[in-house]
Amino acid sequence: MTLRETRIGDGRLLVPVFLLIATTIYLIDAIQLAPPIQNGVLTASFFPVVISTIMYVALLCVLWDIARVPKEAAGSSTEKVDQPLGPLWITLLTGAYIFTFSTIGYFLPTFFYVFLMTILFGKGLEGLLFKAAASLIITAAGFLLFGLAFQVRLPTLWSM
Amino acid sequence: MDFLLAILNGFAALAQPDILLYMVAGFLVGMFFGAVPGLTSVLAIALLLPLTYSLDITAALVACASIFMAGMCSGSITATTINIPGAPSSMMTALEGYPMQQRGEGAKALGHAAIASMIGGSVGALALMFVAPLSAEVALLVRTPGKFSLIFFALVVIIISQQKSISKGVITTTIGLMVATIGIDVMQPVARFTFGTGILVQGIDMMSLIIGAFAISELLIQANRRLNRTVDLDQVDASPIRRRDFIPPLSEIREIGAYRYLKAAVIGYVIGILPGAGGSMAAFVSYSEAMRSSKHPERYGKGTPEGIAAAESANNSMCGGAFVPMLAFGIPGDPTTAIILGVLIINGLQPGPQFMENQLELLFPMFASLFISALILVPLSFYLLGPYFLRMVSVRRDVLYSSIAVVALVGAYAATFSIFQMVMALIFGVVAYFLRRQQYPTICLLLGFYLGPSLEKYCRRSLQISDGSPMIFLTSLDSLFFLALTAVFFYFLVIRKPKPNPQS
Repeated sequence: MTLRETRIGDGRLLVPVFLLIATTIYLIDAIQLAPPIQNGVLTASFFPVVISTIMYVALLCVLWDIARVPKEAAGSSTEKVDQPLGPLWITLLTGAYIFTFSTIGYFLPTFFYVFLMTILFGKGLEGLLFKAAASLIITAAGFLLFGLAFQVRLPTLWSM
Repeated sequence: MDFLLAILNGFAALAQPDILLYMVAGFLVGMFFGAVPGLTSVLAIALLLPLTYSLDITAALVACASIFMAGMCSGSITATTINIPGAPSSMMTALEGYPMQQRGEGAKALGHAAIASMIGGSVGALALMFVAPLSAEVALLVRTPGKFSLIFFALVVIIISQQKSISKGVITTTIGLMVATIGIDVMQPVARFTFGTGILVQGIDMMSLIIGAFAISELLIQANRRLNRTVDLDQVDASPIRRRDFIPPLSEIREIGAYRYLKAAVIGYVIGILPGAGGSMAAFVSYSEAMRSSKHPERYGKGTPEGIAAAESANNSMCGGAFVPMLAFGIPGDPTTAIILGVLIINGLQPGPQFMENQLELLFPMFASLFISALILVPLSFYLLGPYFLRMVSVRRDVLYSSIAVVALVGAYAATFSIFQMVMALIFGVVAYFLRRQQYPTICLLLGFYLGPSLEKYCRRSLQISDGSPMIFLTSLDSLFFLALTAVFFYFLVIRKPKPNPQS
């Protein structure tokens, strides 16, 4: 594998590259607001321009560190990874939950969300009856806590 | 006289049954979250945050204080019994407690941890009661350029205290600063970074950031693992603790000595005052100092109660110190006080010298809760619950994390009645997940977000006062003082890095 290929496959680049793009969009939007100093007065774009500059410098330092130190020697997160796609499934499931929470209401989406979460966090499809019972209890407990104890009006079907 | 009356009223407030219930419930919740590896008291208070909208402010602050104290000491339980610190602040306790456990003295080690936590926590809470009003007087002396330099000092200390990578600390702090600029400008009626959407004009809600960065990201981190329980049942059964062995002999307590307990408490309290320092730094510094000054330094790392006493006294005393900058200046001393600051802001209370002068009656129940939690609840809970705690923290992960997810997401909705804020919580959770995976410190993100608006406001105001000349930051004495302090800290912590402990 060439050095270029190694670097492209280096997961450590994900965060700095994403932030480089985000900072550039941020800076462009800031400059479009107004010049940083106008008639001797600091405008709304002054601070964003300053912090964008700081961000670029910091990102360059991180990219330099990544270029200097191979991935194998870097010693990244010490967390063991058994399920690399676990976070992706949780994110998609949570997104779906938020969407159905807003359209269908609290009870059904929460029950199915909790049920599917117990499958993702637990040992897959083992003990489905227990997971279903736990989901029911957690959904009910959530309603008791928010709906009754704290008097929060949770969404229901056709209420929004 | 007013001051003493306020203290007495603070303790009297705890006698009300509902407030007492919140203190005890908060303590038990904090104990659970602090003991379970992977959970922290920061997460507990982050989940409590949306509920504070519906709670009386006194009850909310009392609960937060007891969660804070409990979370700081309960990490020593799993640290001692199975060598897995429940909280980062218990890492030094694991170094001494686990070897003691291995030679059958686990209960005694926990007894030492409880006594030290009790002493340190009580000293820290008492110091807070007397120092906090004085700090308000000091805060009144700081002018606009000084306030900018103070916040700048706080952010620099937070960044360099992360130790692993200063660049990464700068990056996450700057992300927080950038997110804080979304919405209406701090000084002019100009909308920034709304990208044409009306919903971003209101800015990013602190709730979404906290829930996302702490709760959602934790779920995503834990989703990488396939484990059935938080603590393996085999480890639970292999580590029995008998209650009768819990109380350490008086001779050992005398051997540690009042001086060592108090010294550790003072170290912890002072470190707590430093922005962003936290319990783990307090424990580490106190432990290192105890080893340096010990008559028997060769015993450290092999199971000495002196080490446990130093670490636990300091990390619990830190709780009191961390409130000082938060209440006097609105600058959090550690991650937990950062979220407690959120509780105050949600309830329309802005920490600062005026707040301290006019709202002391709101704060003293919280101080009293900190004191009572340390003096009574810590030793009582260790003695009563210690033998059962390993079983209690061995929870099915699927049930635990799905419960946390529901509380976090529905809490984000309950606080704001906004689906958009739930979406933002998820987005911040994903961002924080990737940051944490690559060892970027997410606490800097939160503190950058909190302190960003004030930093910008004081910077622009100071430059307006001086007609654009940055020399105002050097000619104002208070500003010069904080800038000099920044340089001193930078020199000692970065340029002259502390040598690593040869025994570790």
